[in-house]
Amino acid sequence: MPETVLDRPPLLQMRGIVKRFPGVTALDGVSLHLAPGEVLALMGENGAGKSTLMKILGGAYQPDEGEILIDGKRVVLDGVSEAKRLGIALIHQELMLAPNLDIAANIFLGNERAATLLAPLHRRELNRRALALLARTGLKLPPTTPVSTLTAGTMQMVEVAKALSLDARIIIMDEPTSSLTAGESEHLFAIIRQLKAEGIGIVYISHRMEEVLTLADRITVLRDGRYVGDIARADATTDAIVAMMVGRELKGQYFPPKSPAGVDAPAPAAQPPAAAAPDTGTAADPILKVEDLKVPGAPAGVSFSAARGEILGFAGLVGSGRTELMETIFGVTPAESGKMILDGKPYLPRAPRDAIERGVYLAPEDRKRHGLVLPMTIAENTSLASVGSYNRWGWLDRKTEKRVADAEVARLRTRTPSIRQKVVNLSGGNQQKVVLGKWLAMSPKVLILDEPTRGIDVGAKAEIYRHMAELAEQGIAIIMVSSDMEEIIGMSDRVVVMHERRIKGVLARRELTQQRIARLMTGHTDERGKGDAAA
Amino acid sequence: MRRELSMFAALVLMCIALTISNPDFAGHSNAINTIRQISMLGIYAIGSGFVIVTGGIDLSVGSMVGLTGVIIAKISSQAQGGMGLSLGLGIVVALAVVLLIGLGQGLLITRLKLQPFIVTLGGMLLIRGVSQTIVQGGTLSMGSSPLLKLANEGLFNVGGDPLLPYPAMIFLGVIALATYLLHFTVFGRYVYAIGGNRDAAQYSGINVNRVETSTYVISAGLAGVAGICYAAYIGQMSQQVGVAYELYAIAAVVLGGCSLRGGEGTVLGIVIGSAMMRVIDNGINMFQLRYNDPDGVPRLWRLNPNWTFIIVGAVILIAVILDQVVHIVQSARHVRHGAGPTQLASGGPPPAGAPPLEPRPAAPETARSP
Repeated sequence: MPETVLDRPPLLQMRGIVKRFPGVTALDGVSLHLAPGEVLALMGENGAGKSTLMKILGGAYQPDEGEILIDGKRVVLDGVSEAKRLGIALIHQELMLAPNLDIAANIFLGNERAATLLAPLHRRELNRRALALLARTGLKLPPTTPVSTLTAGTMQMVEVAKALSLDARIIIMDEPTSSLTAGESEHLFAIIRQLKAEGIGIVYISHRMEEVLTLADRITVLRDGRYVGDIARADATTDAIVAMMVGRELKGQYFPPKSPAGVDAPAPAAQPPAAAAPDTGTAADPILKVEDLKVPGAPAGVSFSAARGEILGFAGLVGSGRTELMETIFGVTPAESGKMILDGKPYLPRAPRDAIERGVYLAPEDRKRHGLVLPMTIAENTSLASVGSYNRWGWLDRKTEKRVADAEVARLRTRTPSIRQKVVNLSGGNQQKVVLGKWLAMSPKVLILDEPTRGIDVGAKAEIYRHMAELAEQGIAIIMVSSDMEEIIGMSDRVVVMHERRIKGVLARRELTQQRIARLMTGHTDERGKGDAAA
Repeated sequence: MRRELSMFAALVLMCIALTISNPDFAGHSNAINTIRQISMLGIYAIGSGFVIVTGGIDLSVGSMVGLTGVIIAKISSQAQGGMGLSLGLGIVVALAVVLLIGLGQGLLITRLKLQPFIVTLGGMLLIRGVSQTIVQGGTLSMGSSPLLKLANEGLFNVGGDPLLPYPAMIFLGVIALATYLLHFTVFGRYVYAIGGNRDAAQYSGINVNRVETSTYVISAGLAGVAGICYAAYIGQMSQQVGVAYELYAIAAVVLGGCSLRGGEGTVLGIVIGSAMMRVIDNGINMFQLRYNDPDGVPRLWRLNPNWTFIIVGAVILIAVILDQVVHIVQSARHVRHGAGPTQLASGGPPPAGAPPLEPRPAAPETARSP
């Protein structure tokens, strides 16, 4: 962006921003600038200070030092409403919508343009304006639709409409695609390009490299609360960015190499694709066999199997029924019919404790809600699922608890000062390691990981992948639900693709291409052979 | 509105059944008294409703109802123990005190981030103690204060009883005002937004603290208004006036379809809930069955008044259980019928459709597997 250098001041400049929290300096002299119509990607590992910086820009935090200039004029963002007044809109990672209100109410929340709080609300007028904004975001829904009925992608669009309603000149998006499907993401990108054409400056925070490389004009990298550098899109490569983010070259593969002893054994690989096709539904050495299992609310039963030492990927759109299926396998919502065989014996869990007893564990999608007790320590979380076995004469055996937690922290290289650290204070990647540690301490047979790396930064992701590969090598069957295509393709031995709560197809490792998975995900039948030719 | 409609239907059925069993239920003396009771409960239940819609709770309502009456009696009663000053002064001071208490509680909750339950529990006990100290553990008579007319008189007298007692008129005024505030103003929208997603409200630039504090002031103020009515109605103020009223208010609010999680409920629902509570109370006294004993003598079977709390408790539980069951059944049906609604105009991942605005870029290279 050479024009940012001279005469016209940039749309936004942040200079020397310092923000201290008790005990930590979250930001230490960070600067960034943004031109109109520019998409600036802000990257950095979790804890690098991206969110803090953006909260300062959004008026939610006040910086301790440094200045912010808009159009070259110094501004003080002493509150969310002041930031909004200046045309700064922040779209949070956790969507900030009130589910009990309708779309129009959410779009104009805090921006009703009423003289006083007690002034009447002009619903018809707001609905009319909402309709126009929704059209700009490509949503065809009545503005009176309650937000609680929307999908994550639609909610994201409502957030965009909300930003547009402020006549925002700067829109900050914090990991906007983390819960979107591929199609929804594409839609969002199209909207972003349109906003760009309208001269709106966009700060885009994401961990997804491919997104950043296609969308951003420029990338600013932060590390440990410090500004590391800028890199123009033309010069940007994944390796260069990752190196800047982690401060060292990430050696070797992002995804760990798969041992050939895996499930995608040489035997089927040697066969022609057409002959291998019918066999891909069943694993060679199944530890878990699912037969015609009917999940409550699903239209029909599903069948598949998972083998010892296999990483079985589950691809599909959000709402395709993957999470629900996993919850049934884990006993959260018992099956309506069908059967499962675990280790040669029938397995029909009525509650998670039945599953845990048999060695089937689930690391849920929303780890903060279902996977961890945030205000408890690492040690307490690690022992939580098996706390009965830490019983000594009725007392909780804290010594063993400590030993086990220490061992898991060491094994997974969880970054923490101590196992007495509260989980809420850990970064996303380390929290996920605590979830893994909890189950690993109990020697799993089948480990179900639902979106194992959502919201986790690159460095920690690679570590999680390495651990997954190691666990698989130890003979654990890993079922991985993921919406991250790279992850699905990079990690899975086989991939089950779901669409509208049915299994649409099972692809072997060598058949994995983004196109084939995407076709199945969207309900198209797989064209075997074609995909192979492309791959 | 589902909850409101079904509760209203249940209320109508209950009234019809009670009228059939005991025609006195609909007689104007009982009916007017029940309306007065509904009104007095409804006034402060609506106040509680404001707090509950934000996701908070106000346990100090009953104590404030009592304190209002005690202050009025202390300042304006001509009887023994009273200061004999003007009634107007008593009312103004009493309302000012409870509004200030409401403001104080609201500020503690919003500024110090204390939990509403604890703050208002403390307030409830503290205020009760103040009332007790003022009446010195005994009673304070209102004497022949003109205030007594407030409860017992009204408009459209029929056979000595007013068809519209003053508390009912106040109630109608409160309903109108609260409906406007909660359902037709920006303020009301904010109250719901805070209850639905406090962070979203905060990040939308709403002054959450101010709106939330206001709801505690409203709750206190309406408790004060109800307190004036109760003072007029009872005439003898003791520390016992208003004990456990906050629980009646919460029950009425929940029966009327509010969720204690916040973000849900309507003024109309609270009105219906209040009516439900009072009709049940009254119905326990009025309900009777005629039967002939073995000797053929006609007798009346009545409910044991000791069962009052059993019946009230059971009704609340049955109402929330039914509501939840209906909810579960509906959401199960929703899942079965509408799996994966397509909401984006241009939907569809990769091969399905192109975004509307410009050509989709070539699918990025992702297959980086070894």
